[in-house]
Amino acid sequence: MSTGINTYKTDLREIFFTLFEQFGFDQVVGQEPFEAWGPEEAKAVLQEGYRFSKEVLGPLNATGDREGCRLENGQVFTPKGFKEAWQKLYEQGFKSVSVSPEHGGQGGPMMMQVLLEEMLSGANSAFNMYPGLAFGAAELLAECGTAEQKKLYVERMLNGTWGGTMCLTEPHAGSDVGASKTVAKKNADGTYSIRGTKIFISGGDHDMAGNVIHLVLARIDGATPGTKGLSLFIVPKLRVGADGSSSGSNDVSVGSIEHKMGINGSATCVLNFGENDGCLGELVGGVEHAGMSQMFRMMNGARIAVGIQGLALASAAYFNALDYAKDRKQGAHFTKFKDPTAPRVSIIEHPDVRRMLLDLKAHVEGIRALLVKLAMHTDKARMMAGKDDEQAAYHRGQVELLTPLVKAYSSDQAFRLCAQAIQVYGGAGYCQDYPVEQYTRDSKIFSIYEGTNHIQAMDLVGRKMGQAGGAHFQQFMADVGGFVETHREHPVYGEAVRQLAAAQEGIMSSAMAVLGWSQDAAKVPLIPLSANRFLQMMSELAVGWLLLDAAVIAEKAAEKVSESSPDKAFYEGKKWSALWFARNVLPNVEQAARMMALEDSSPVEIPVEAFGGN
Amino acid sequence: MVDVPVSCRSREYPLFKEKDVKILVTAKRVEDPESKIKVKPDGSDIVREGLKYKINPFDEIGVEEGLRLVAKHGGEVVVVSIGGKEVQEQLRHALAMGAQRAVWVNHTGALDQMGVAGLLQKVVEKEKPDLVVLGKQSIDDDQNQVGQYLAEYLGWGQATFASKVESLESEQEKSKTPALQVGADGKTVQVVREVDNGLATLECQLPAVVTTDLRLNLPRYASLPGIMKAKSKPIEELTPEKLGVDVTPKVQVVKLASPPERKAGIKVPDVATLVDKLRNEAKVV
Repeated sequence: MSTGINTYKTDLREIFFTLFEQFGFDQVVGQEPFEAWGPEEAKAVLQEGYRFSKEVLGPLNATGDREGCRLENGQVFTPKGFKEAWQKLYEQGFKSVSVSPEHGGQGGPMMMQVLLEEMLSGANSAFNMYPGLAFGAAELLAECGTAEQKKLYVERMLNGTWGGTMCLTEPHAGSDVGASKTVAKKNADGTYSIRGTKIFISGGDHDMAGNVIHLVLARIDGATPGTKGLSLFIVPKLRVGADGSSSGSNDVSVGSIEHKMGINGSATCVLNFGENDGCLGELVGGVEHAGMSQMFRMMNGARIAVGIQGLALASAAYFNALDYAKDRKQGAHFTKFKDPTAPRVSIIEHPDVRRMLLDLKAHVEGIRALLVKLAMHTDKARMMAGKDDEQAAYHRGQVELLTPLVKAYSSDQAFRLCAQAIQVYGGAGYCQDYPVEQYTRDSKIFSIYEGTNHIQAMDLVGRKMGQAGGAHFQQFMADVGGFVETHREHPVYGEAVRQLAAAQEGIMSSAMAVLGWSQDAAKVPLIPLSANRFLQMMSELAVGWLLLDAAVIAEKAAEKVSESSPDKAFYEGKKWSALWFARNVLPNVEQAARMMALEDSSPVEIPVEAFGGN
Repeated sequence: MVDVPVSCRSREYPLFKEKDVKILVTAKRVEDPESKIKVKPDGSDIVREGLKYKINPFDEIGVEEGLRLVAKHGGEVVVVSIGGKEVQEQLRHALAMGAQRAVWVNHTGALDQMGVAGLLQKVVEKEKPDLVVLGKQSIDDDQNQVGQYLAEYLGWGQATFASKVESLESEQEKSKTPALQVGADGKTVQVVREVDNGLATLECQLPAVVTTDLRLNLPRYASLPGIMKAKSKPIEELTPEKLGVDVTPKVQVVKLASPPERKAGIKVPDVATLVDKLRNEAKVV
């Protein structure tokens, strides 16, 4: 399948450091429920996953972008090579790493799965949308479906026989999903007739699998308005028999596909359900009016998946820009810039290029650490369930708190970092000869879909901070505080750790301020005005902490390797990532706290007319 | 071909199970070509710390071919590697691809090609495979000798540089059909060899030694279930002593050095100067 050239690149050494050295994968595996797994299996999975990403998915990334998807006679056709890649992906079993053995999976830890997903998405974000959505929909059914639904749908959606989607958005119901107009009418046989239009449905139709199973939010006739009246339905593209055969139209039609800025290999569809009154759905789990809570099971996983996408492209952009900067010669060394006869140097010799690259490196590594930390909490919550309720609750709480950070911070930074990678290249990066312009276009959607980043920020400020009486937030702050106490006088990192402590204090005072605003009707608008800023502050605190944590671990590990070992330079790199972030990003957190204290509400005070325009 | 009733067909094996074949393949641990290799300052060895390793790609092609033959004929693929306990990683890789079991010859000292072939000879005599498939060379020091020595020690026929007529984009390749043709009577193997002026087809009596070239097949990825199953597949441990082989090297590595760095090129103003330089300086035209 040599249709294009792979540009995907990562560093397995860095990935293994995060998994094994920083987050102690070994302490999670080898015991219930991960008794079948050990470090060797994880390494093998990640090595083979990397090879697969480079050899199968990577070559289809640029070609898929240029070719895009086609809608012909109501059927969506994906770019050349996608269908074959889909088959290979499922043959390899890469989509079932963390799936329970009950559904044909390997029951592996999420810590490893998220890193595998990073590589699959990094090599081809658009392609990985399709199996990702099928996965999310299948997981939802595995959790909320009836026994029959689980048996009929889950394994087929996890092994590539069928695709899957989530259908929430409508023309007038995006972030305001409660305004949904799609209706469901109960039939005598217990099925429901579905009628309505959904838009922006990723993977809404494709030619890679035998059927596509849509999970559709709709309002049963007579149900209350708003989100509470919504129910979730299984609506296949083709009618499904009890034996798993697919045949005959279920009156689901593709109205059109969007022409987008990026992820062009991913078909974003307008779907019309029941235009001819022939669209049947079955209620997920047989429960009415539980659509939103059911959908949220999928949304949480999907939000983490978007965080992974952001990390994946930022990391791919970093390694591409790094290679280019080492290779490309232009200009004299800055100490000789006035000498026209001085030899030309690689652009990585220029301070400003190095600044951009180190900023990329630090953010990518820190966001990866944040993601793996979240996954570790997920795994530990599973391990502790039923054994140690208090510990299990702690880990679940951290998952809740970190999910909006991973989704929003990773996706916001991804777009900025990919654009910065273009800047490293200069004009060449703006051209399609290099992959960074596509990474930048592809990454923009990450801050929008699966709940815009403002929705994530409001989730953090309005829900997660106060969850369990504020316990999740307090425990997180205690974890950071413990690190600060231990390392405040560290000979190398002491100053950086004190910077971390200052950032933490800033966040504490901002959190108190937000709490005050919520109790003062006049100041409530300050909450949405400040939520995004606050999410960024929290994320930077978390990333700064984890980078310093990694640096301390690396410093100890470096004592055991010889001067000539490549590991020496690797561990040294951890030091500079942490110091860069502590000196150039953490001070922004303090500054942001000062801005929050100003209680500026000018965006809501300015009259609409005063915005100007005509 | 005789029509066999559908009920007799098994999923694992084809319509006709001509004869089970037992295939021994190798999995040498070599430096990952993506790693940067540096020679130690004293020239005694390369810097091994922090290097990445993988299965020799030519051996991986051998494993793949073995798996395809067994999928067609039934039988067993046994993988062997020689080295310290770290070579179990490469054995597990071959097991994850689908080999049934592994033999590990535990030896950590220096080895030359005769030592390797001598150890493999004893493993072959113990395992009695129909066919030994190994890489034509390993990508660490590119010797291209072990297969030939092994055939000589065993007194078996050999077919080196196994390749095929079909391209790696062909339907033959996509359907994972083996390129090596084991005869219907199970007594011969037909091998298409890559030679200087094209491809030559040989037929060998079995048992035989085959070494693989690059274009024989595209090795599969280890699948996720394969990786998990590999954990419980057996690895038998042997040593040179147990096998009764004296592996004292007859060839000794005296010194390693990096190849000289390429000198920078020059630009010539026109074709005439180029021709002049090629003729009078480089003396190539």
